[in-house]
Parts: sequence; C-alpha cells; structure tokens
Amino acid sequence: MLIDTHIRPALFAPICGDAARFERRCDEMNFHLMKPSPLPLLKKQYALADIRKAALLPEDCSAETGTPAISNDEIAALVALEPDFFLGLAAVDPRRADACQELERAFTTLGLRGLVVNTARLKMYPGDPRLLPLYDLCRAHKKPILFHAGLCLEKDALAKYARPVEFEEVVAAYPEVNICLAHMGWPWVQETAALLLKYPNLYANTALMNFDGPYQIYHKVFREEMGEYWLEHNIAGQVMFGSDSPRIRPVRAKRGLDSIAMDPETREKVYWRNAAKFFGLEGLCDEI
Amino acid sequence: MKFKLKEVPICANKEFEMLRITDEVRDYVAESGVENGVVFVITEHTTTGITVNESLPCVEKDLMEMLDRAAPEDYPYHHNHYLRSYGTIGGNAPGHLKSLLTGNHCVFPVVEGRVKLGSAADIYFCEYDGIKNRKYMIYVMGE
Repeated sequence: MLIDTHIRPALFAPICGDAARFERRCDEMNFHLMKPSPLPLLKKQYALADIRKAALLPEDCSAETGTPAISNDEIAALVALEPDFFLGLAAVDPRRADACQELERAFTTLGLRGLVVNTARLKMYPGDPRLLPLYDLCRAHKKPILFHAGLCLEKDALAKYARPVEFEEVVAAYPEVNICLAHMGWPWVQETAALLLKYPNLYANTALMNFDGPYQIYHKVFREEMGEYWLEHNIAGQVMFGSDSPRIRPVRAKRGLDSIAMDPETREKVYWRNAAKFFGLEGLCDEI
Repeated sequence: MKFKLKEVPICANKEFEMLRITDEVRDYVAESGVENGVVFVITEHTTTGITVNESLPCVEKDLMEMLDRAAPEDYPYHHNHYLRSYGTIGGNAPGHLKSLLTGNHCVFPVVEGRVKLGSAADIYFCEYDGIKNRKYMIYVMGE
C-alpha cells in the first residue's frame, strides 16, 4: 500500500476541457506532447503501484501569469470526484492582494488539506515576508506545508530560491507545522538529510526522477549520496513516497524504491505511514 | 478492389499483457464484404506489438517472461533520461525493445470471406507500457 504525496494533475481530463487553458498550463509547467487522461485510466495506473491515496498539487503564480495554472477550485473539483482517494492541497501566489483570504477559503470552504509553495517559481526565498502570513495561517489551521525543494523543471524557475538550507529558518520558526521538502531537495540531498536529522517537524518526499531510470537514481541518492544507513537508522520516520507524476509513472518510481533494500517497517513508513502522519490521517489509513 | 479500415480501441488491465483479438479481426473481415484478399492487423503505438501464437496461459507467460529477460526493467537504457521535448523521464525503453521484437503487424489471407489462420493460431495485441488507451488497425484489402 502507498500514499503518493506528489502528483501534479496537469493532465487530468476533468480539468482540461478548455484547450487554450490546457496549452498555457502545459507550457508553464513544462509538460509537452501529452494528452489529457480520464480519471478511470489514471486510477488503473495508480493501482499498479498499489496507491490508495494521492495528494494533488496545484500551481499558482497568477501574479505573473494572470491565472493559476492549476487552481484551488480545480483541485477541489477533482477531490469531489474521488473524495476517498485524492487529498487536495492549496496554492496561493503571495503577491495576490487576496492571498490570505484565498488560502483561508481553500482551507475552510474547499476543504483542502495543506499548502504547496514553489519558491523557485515565485522567485522568492522561503523566508520572504510576503510568505509568512500564509505560514501563519497554516499554523492556525494545523495544516502542513509542502515546499518544492531543489531543481525545478518548470519554465521560468530558479533553483537558488529552493535550496534546502534556505528553508531552515522557516522550519525552525514553525515547529508545530509539518513541513515537507519535496524531491529530497535534489541535487542538494545531503542538505535535506542534514535538516531532517535536526528537525522532527521536517519531512521529505522521494519525487526525484531527474537523471537515469528509477533503479539508478534511487540507488545514487539513497546508497551513494546518503550513507547506507542514513535512511534506515536516522530519518526513516520522515521520508515519504512521492512520484512526481506525470514526469514519471508512479509504478516505475515504486519499482525503483522497491529495489532499495530496507526493513519492512521502514518500507511501510516510507510508502504510507509517514504520509499519514504528515497529513494527519493516521486513523483514516488504519481503515484502508 | 475493396479497401476497408477499422481502428479498434483497446485498454489492458495490466502494465504488460497479451490481449487476444482474433475474434475482432474475424468479425471485421466478415463485415467488410471482402471475399478474397488479405487482412493486415497493425498497432498504432511504439511500445505495443501484434503477434500470433497459441492461446494457452502457459505459452503467454513464457513469451512475456522471455521478453522480460531480453529487455529487463532495471537495465541502464539510453532512453532513461529527462526528455526536454516531453518534460518527462523516458521510462519505457523495455516497451520499445519488446515492440521491436514482436513487430507492429501481422498479415493473413482472406479466403472465401474468412481469415485463414492455423488451427493453433490466435492473434494478440501485446501491451508493453500499460495501462493506456490504445488503438490498433484492421485493414482488409481484396475483392
């Protein structure tokens, strides 16, 4: 069983009805030559990896682009189609005049379960004062924050704003908030591991398909860039499965992780227990 | 001379699967009105195949396992890299190689309005990169 903490629903057919909007979204998020997929087909693909729940990540740089690439309302609409399967997250461009109201609406009216922030796309550092009111709202609502961390393959994004060490002040300042550095902060994996070691409210996900295939990249990250026992003995309670679909199909990401030796308890944590803890779903997941 | 084309949608239930399509081909040949000619069965995709073999579960399993041995999932393929043209990682190299081994089509005679197949022969659509919505073509030529 798995919880996928990192799916970008850019190609989900129910939100791809407007062809011009779909094209703009794909251009902004750097997805090309691919068609929208119907939900039943996507769910069959997720079932191949035994995914039981999947977090959907929106994208809002609307202060630059005029409209979110994937809006909170679109995420909520997708969750409404499969409420037991999808976990919807919110995104708000902090440069919007109504940023706090929109995040409040996303949490209270739309029922979204956390905040996604991509500082590489926003071109602002994680400690930028414009972001702090959004973090305060997450603290007030007891919602987690998932930061894009490390290299961002999207158009017009700069990795320097998302280097793992840049997140330390925020992680330290919000100890009550569960915070995830996505993609293990790749390529700065050791920085991410170091922060995980120190901060118990910090998590990371495995959505790091960049070089090579899944068998090679996970070995490189978890067996070469990190010491052999770092995951198993030190940070087993903080690493969560994430596929980064549609950049890689979840079943392939899972096969890559399956090839990394770990004891069954650690694998269970990485595959779903840590995500259940991160999203506050412990009771829910025991029923799956 | 008649030329009749049908595109048939198909979707596997597994990532790798042999789907028997003999009846679909027979039915379309009968429907086409061609009495004597040939029928081509052609896949539209590059990580699928069309082949003929005996429809026994043990044979199907041996064929798929042989293809897995020839193109294992964990080999460091050249295709396993970030594709700027898609914005994705090329993860389906084994599917492309299995497609090469199987071929993209089969051809059969049409005699007196029926497909001529050997007694043990069945036609298969082979999925090597599922699960996806796919199409194959049945193209009947003759009189």
